[in-house]
Amino acid sequence: MSLIKQLWLIVAALLLLAFGGSLFIGVTASRAYIEQEVLIKNADNASALALTMSQMPKDPVTLELLVSAQFDTGHYRRVELRSPKGEIIEQRLGGDAIRDVPAWFVDLVHIEVPPGRAVVQDGWRQLGTLVLESQHSFAYRSLWRSTLSLVGWFGLAAVISLLLTWWIVRQIRRPLSAVVEQAQHIGQRRFTTVPAPRTRELREVVEAMNRLSAAVGNMLGEESQKLDRLRQQLQHDPVTGVLNREAFLSQLQIHLDSQDARASGALALVRLAHLVEINERLGRAETDALLHEMAHGLEQFGQAHGGGIVGRLNGSDFVLLLPGKIDLGQLRHDLGRRLAAMRERGRTPVGLPGALIDYAQGDQRSMLLASLDGTLSAAETRSDEGLMIAEGPQRRSLFTSHDEWRYALQVAMAKGIYLAHYPVLDATGELLHIECPSRLRLAGEWQPAGVFIPWISRLGLDSQLDLVVIDEAIRDITHRGKPLGINLSVASIQDAHFVIELQSRLKARPDVAKLLWLEIPEAMAIHDLASFRSLCRALQPLGCRIGLEHVGASFTRIADLQDLGLAYLKLDRTLVRGIDRVAEQQTILRGMATLCHSLGILAIGEGVENREEARVLFELGLDGATGPGIRQHEKPAD
Amino acid sequence: MSPPSYRTLDSPVRRRFLAGLGSLWLLAGLGLGPSPVAASLSPQQLRRSMQAEYGAQGVAVLEEWFALLDRLRPADLEARLRGVNDFFNRRIRWLEDIAIWRQEDYWATPLETLGRGEGDCEDFTIAKYVTLKELDVSEEELRLIYVRARIGRSSITQAHMVLGYYETPGADPLVLDNLVPSITRGSRRTDLDPLFSFNGRGLWAAGSSQSRADPVARLSRWRRVIDRMRQQGFIQGE
Repeated sequence: MSLIKQLWLIVAALLLLAFGGSLFIGVTASRAYIEQEVLIKNADNASALALTMSQMPKDPVTLELLVSAQFDTGHYRRVELRSPKGEIIEQRLGGDAIRDVPAWFVDLVHIEVPPGRAVVQDGWRQLGTLVLESQHSFAYRSLWRSTLSLVGWFGLAAVISLLLTWWIVRQIRRPLSAVVEQAQHIGQRRFTTVPAPRTRELREVVEAMNRLSAAVGNMLGEESQKLDRLRQQLQHDPVTGVLNREAFLSQLQIHLDSQDARASGALALVRLAHLVEINERLGRAETDALLHEMAHGLEQFGQAHGGGIVGRLNGSDFVLLLPGKIDLGQLRHDLGRRLAAMRERGRTPVGLPGALIDYAQGDQRSMLLASLDGTLSAAETRSDEGLMIAEGPQRRSLFTSHDEWRYALQVAMAKGIYLAHYPVLDATGELLHIECPSRLRLAGEWQPAGVFIPWISRLGLDSQLDLVVIDEAIRDITHRGKPLGINLSVASIQDAHFVIELQSRLKARPDVAKLLWLEIPEAMAIHDLASFRSLCRALQPLGCRIGLEHVGASFTRIADLQDLGLAYLKLDRTLVRGIDRVAEQQTILRGMATLCHSLGILAIGEGVENREEARVLFELGLDGATGPGIRQHEKPAD
Repeated sequence: MSPPSYRTLDSPVRRRFLAGLGSLWLLAGLGLGPSPVAASLSPQQLRRSMQAEYGAQGVAVLEEWFALLDRLRPADLEARLRGVNDFFNRRIRWLEDIAIWRQEDYWATPLETLGRGEGDCEDFTIAKYVTLKELDVSEEELRLIYVRARIGRSSITQAHMVLGYYETPGADPLVLDNLVPSITRGSRRTDLDPLFSFNGRGLWAAGSSQSRADPVARLSRWRRVIDRMRQQGFIQGE
């Protein structure tokens, strides 16, 4: 039985007890008093009448008159005179005068008073016994009335106390349900904290649980930082802290293969000219500081321009990847100013020539880098401050202007979208869900997301596209009954209208919501944590799972996200690729998987190339894997 | 309705009050009918009471009274009536209440009467009534009778009380009086004019079965004297 219910029962029982007790004592005491009074009245009146009769002549008329006079002017039920042998000499009987009192009450109370008796003396002889009973039906009425008013008063008292109880229960229930909710969260391994309630006992519980949550949060923070240090050692350049060559190149490849907004953008190559001479002149430590300063400056620039990634390709060459940037002229201007500022700030005069190029999905990485390198050499020969735009690979653009793109995308979305199906499997080869990148029919062909997503972002059509995708996914789940994974763009989750639309669609189809896995890129979620939180709060109660994809660099932030109740994390390809060969990478992934499991989160590896990688991933404890290596070995489902 | 349980209430005043209520209630439940009077006396308690109030002299008189009870118990009715009448008429000196008790009208218990050795007509009558009742004379047959007494041949009358013994309710009673030592029929007592009579029936019964907390207990003289008799040991057992 719930605490609240017990409280109610106790209050009701106490009320009834108080009511019953008061009623019983009140009625019993009144009845006893009335009986006593009537008893005395009977005895006294009998004595008085007998005394009078004893003094009067004993002829029948006088006796009759005396009895009548007493009976008629008094309040009696019975007045009778009996001879010593028991024969009635005179008798007067009155009826019971109760009318407005229920019979059951009369039976229940039942006042019984013995009659008063006195002997009428005729000289030395006894003439007879006078028996007298008073009318006491008035007592029933007054008892009945007092009972009624007692019931009325207790009704009022009950209403007031129930109102009070209701208020108290409400006061208790609110913090209590917060505590219960927190306990449930902890049960689901979401270590949330709640504000401490005013009720002392509850406050102690909440504070204890908050301490537990904080301790878990700290532990998570420490563990994830440890893992991140490992990852840094593996992927980052020790001198400058930016990505090392391998890590950067695989990031670039991911971007080039990507199906989302990352699939096009710009690359910048910047060289610290005459590094050898500088090194000789300044010494190693100074040079390292200079390099670090430069990498830091580029990183700041990247952060300011939508989450750019910086890598160090070799001793003097830094590369900046800026997804989504396609206006090279503008970029050249901004970057040029930045480099100039860096040159001026530095104590040592250095040359910072650079080259820019744009990229798009499907470009060859080596061709891009070669083109950049060639342009940089040209720029270097021209001056130490040159920033030149390299000749990109020849690409066939589907449409030439923004308006054409907009029109074409609108038409394609209206016609309908096609969802590709890439399975995510668990260790036993069972399906976790199907990843569904979208395809739009543009210029007569089904185009992969990488082609049109950058344009969707550029034209601000994200939430429109996402809704179309959701509709298609709902249709797909209804049709096939298999769980689907859908990417949401960050622009969509920032759009309150989109979130409400999505919520209402999923509310209407709870069966579908259970099979829907929604994911957004880790970097985006971290970037706008508030929107992501409100998305989680809005959608999780409906039963759908929410996860992050491309998790890697910001894994340390998982401690901040654990209270959101994330269902799964997709660990980035840079961590997964070559897992079967690199021991440090295995250590990192094993740690990540363990950490995820301690929070009740599924860990899924992205971009698995082959069976061997998948095998190692599952050995490390990951729950699922996806990628080309998984696709090939999928059981033929369709 | 079942008898209430008051055990949960523990303030002494309240408990006594509730106990009173409870016994009243019980009494009402029993209907207050003429219940058999368990008025057997307790010699030990009487001796203690007498010792405390009147000392060894009082106890000696009490012992004589006990001896009288023992002697008369096997005797026939007439002997019992005569024995009791003579015992008190001889032992007790008649005096006005005002002289004995400094009160206008005081009904003394037999113990007080014996202890002082003096009493007025009510005290004689009560003492004889109680003694005869102790000797298994039925209460039905005994009545305390208010009479108007003429003293000697004069026309002066005086309020007086005698004990009447009725063989049947309608019969001419035998009168046990302290003015005239011998027992005679009422009709032959021309000096006495009966006005009203009563006995312990009802009142006595009610008194004997009620606790001292009964608020009515001290309302009438008769009840008060019964109450004192209980304290002194004339009545025991409920």
